[in-house]
Amino acid sequence: MPNKQISEKLDQILMQVQKPAHYTGGELGSIVKNPEEVDVRFAFCFPDLYEVGMSHLGMKILYSLKNARPDVWCERVFAPERDMERLMRENDIPLYGLESFDPIRDFDMIGFTLQYELSFTSVLNMLDLAGLPVKASERPNLSPLVIAGGPCACNPEPLCDFIDLFILGEGEEVNLELIDLYKIAKKEGWPKEKFLRQACRIEGIYVPSLYDVSYFPDGIIQNITPKEGAPARVRKRIIQDFDRVFYPSSFVVPYTDIVHDRAIIEVLRGCIRGCRFCQAGFIYRPLREKNVDTLCRNGRDLCASTGYDEISLSSLSTSDHSQVEKLLTQMVQWTDEKKINLSLPSLRVDNFSQELLDTVSKVRKSGLTFAPEAGTQRMRDVINKNVSEEEIFNTCRTAFEGGYTAVKLYFMMGLPTETMEDVEGIVDLAQRIVDFYYSLPSRQKGKGVTVTVSCACFVPKPFTPFQFEPQDTWEMLREKQNHMLSCLKSKKIRLNWHDADTSFLEGVLARGDRRLGEVLYRAWKKGCRLDSWGNHFHMDWWKEAMDECGLDPAFYANRKRGYSETMPWDHLDFAVSKDFLIRENQKAHNNQTTPNCRQQCAGCGANQLVGGRCFE
Amino acid sequence: MSDIQITDVNKMPNLRVFYEKTGRAKYISHLDINRCMQRALRRAEIPVWYTEGFNPHPYTTFALPLSLGYESLCETMDLRITRVMSCEEISQRLNNTLPEGLTVKKTALQKFKPEKIKQAFYHIRLNFADCPPEAALEHLLEFDKNSSILVMKRTKKGMKEIDIRPDVSLHSLYVENSLLNLKLFCASGIEKNINPTLYLDAFTQAAELEIQAVHVLRTAVLMENGQPFE
Repeated sequence: MPNKQISEKLDQILMQVQKPAHYTGGELGSIVKNPEEVDVRFAFCFPDLYEVGMSHLGMKILYSLKNARPDVWCERVFAPERDMERLMRENDIPLYGLESFDPIRDFDMIGFTLQYELSFTSVLNMLDLAGLPVKASERPNLSPLVIAGGPCACNPEPLCDFIDLFILGEGEEVNLELIDLYKIAKKEGWPKEKFLRQACRIEGIYVPSLYDVSYFPDGIIQNITPKEGAPARVRKRIIQDFDRVFYPSSFVVPYTDIVHDRAIIEVLRGCIRGCRFCQAGFIYRPLREKNVDTLCRNGRDLCASTGYDEISLSSLSTSDHSQVEKLLTQMVQWTDEKKINLSLPSLRVDNFSQELLDTVSKVRKSGLTFAPEAGTQRMRDVINKNVSEEEIFNTCRTAFEGGYTAVKLYFMMGLPTETMEDVEGIVDLAQRIVDFYYSLPSRQKGKGVTVTVSCACFVPKPFTPFQFEPQDTWEMLREKQNHMLSCLKSKKIRLNWHDADTSFLEGVLARGDRRLGEVLYRAWKKGCRLDSWGNHFHMDWWKEAMDECGLDPAFYANRKRGYSETMPWDHLDFAVSKDFLIRENQKAHNNQTTPNCRQQCAGCGANQLVGGRCFE
Repeated sequence: MSDIQITDVNKMPNLRVFYEKTGRAKYISHLDINRCMQRALRRAEIPVWYTEGFNPHPYTTFALPLSLGYESLCETMDLRITRVMSCEEISQRLNNTLPEGLTVKKTALQKFKPEKIKQAFYHIRLNFADCPPEAALEHLLEFDKNSSILVMKRTKKGMKEIDIRPDVSLHSLYVENSLLNLKLFCASGIEKNINPTLYLDAFTQAAELEIQAVHVLRTAVLMENGQPFE
């Protein structure tokens, strides 16, 4: 039975909020246990709205994994919208777990997943809504232990004031090891400090309070010093045998519309491509894939248990699976029969074959999306997006001849070494795709073409070869955006871009240091939360917070770093060496590309995680 | 009878699933119920007939949408099946896979078309911010004597003032557990669809009361002469 006190209070307020079903739980597949029969209660928090968090695969995996243990009860927690937050505060409803409605402040562990930098203030806000002090130093007890993981944990420094420990890398094994240690600590009544000292010995666990950071007068880091036996470098965890890793046979099936409402199977982890802007391409190395049979079994199990009529193949680059054709052939056999749609979100332009297209279009014909990332060949070489113009046009030909009339292209602007010519190249490429469509005698008769250009602002990220690079200033990005607009002639091309302000803030936080903790705190106090939502974003509050702390956002975002500079994340080891990143950075400046991992090993260092060889 | 055996595969009858929507499930909107039921039909492996369009999906229809936040003992979902399965089995399979708050009471042949629906019966329990339920009861008795009840109703052509007096009739009124209970018939169906809150809002406005909490439960869907919709 859900917590009566909270559920009664909720009943009074839920009809006043826009999306009540986000706060009621009780969905099919949600797991309810008897609190008397578990040792550890875990609140899995996604610091964004239900519709976003419920779409996230990592949460689904870890939720099922933890709940598979009889001694653990893991519940889901999401950030409330402003209307709900106001009513919760007015009615003294603390943040609660969606399964039990119990306040999460009474749980053993509270874990946040850090998927993007702009969710950081929501972490603080959720701790506050739970009725807990946001600062780790003001939570003296072992429980609730506040932990965080996910891609942004690769540079968690701006969050060090608030989080007790971070999990680096893949969570399937280390989460359970941490829970085991916690059980001992709870039973034996360890103080929090003792637990943290023990926990930092588990590979993949980073306890920020066990490191002192000193700075030069100019703000650059002088030293990061471990203490009390903490390791000098904390290495990320990976799953060695990815084919046999735990995978859920059921998902929580929401009632309301969420962003990605479908079954998902995880085809592979890591990426062989080494696109130099892409953090995921480096921090998830090395590439590991699942067998075709395993994937089909995962998919069938999920569709049967959830009733989903759509299944998505998730990975950084699905067409890089060594047996992608076999996989799709086998998948289509049963998805067709069961009337299930198959969606393939991550295909590359260079190996998009006719067979692949046929397979996809057998199920549903919608738009095609590709990511050339840059408009000129020179720029694509700089970022190591090894896609040639010929390949782009071949793919477009295949698509257009196959009946597609809408193509969406992803680009970035503000890439290192970018000139106005490169920016023009984006519009130019889109224009030539339009022209190409009309030049094809085999196109669909009587139908126009739409080319949508979606342009993101490049944000340099840790553990990429561009971690040393300055981010374009707001003014530069604006100028480039205006220039693109002035180059645009065709009505067949639609231009979208990301907001330069949010990209700037993302850039500040991504490569931030511990001094940004105070900025985060102040920005949150001023009212910042859910920053990734345009309607909630307040750049002025962030600027005020930076000013009050005497920090210059340009120091973080727009400054070129030397190769020898100590980065705030240099004590964290994601298996790609700094030497490799420097080599790749130099090659970028010489317009030189690097072959993909299958063609030739580039010596990044990630092979050490799998015994020396990434491929058979 | 709920366990009619369907024997003629070529003449697949139209079926009606009668279900309850209570507890947390009241927060599932009408649109979401549709999706939720389609997934349940898939999980239950009910041989439901699929639409044959661009995007095939199980063909289901729901008579008389229930407002968000209302509970009901008498919801219906119409569907067609493509292979023999007893009504009993359909109910059972669905109940094995439906989420909390949605419960199938029976499955049967459709007897009447949804157009036959004329009214619905509601049981409403509520209390007020600054008024004991006994006093509110007196106010409501007084209010219900009005020969016309004018309310603003959203129509396709924008807001419009209508008189709902002929469409709402108060069946009973009492106080129980410190809550004012009222049972209400409201005209419902394709021609006229009166939400009980229209009546409540008109009352609270007239009596200058503020509702603190309100529970609405739909207990019956009726046709002409008060015959249940089956």
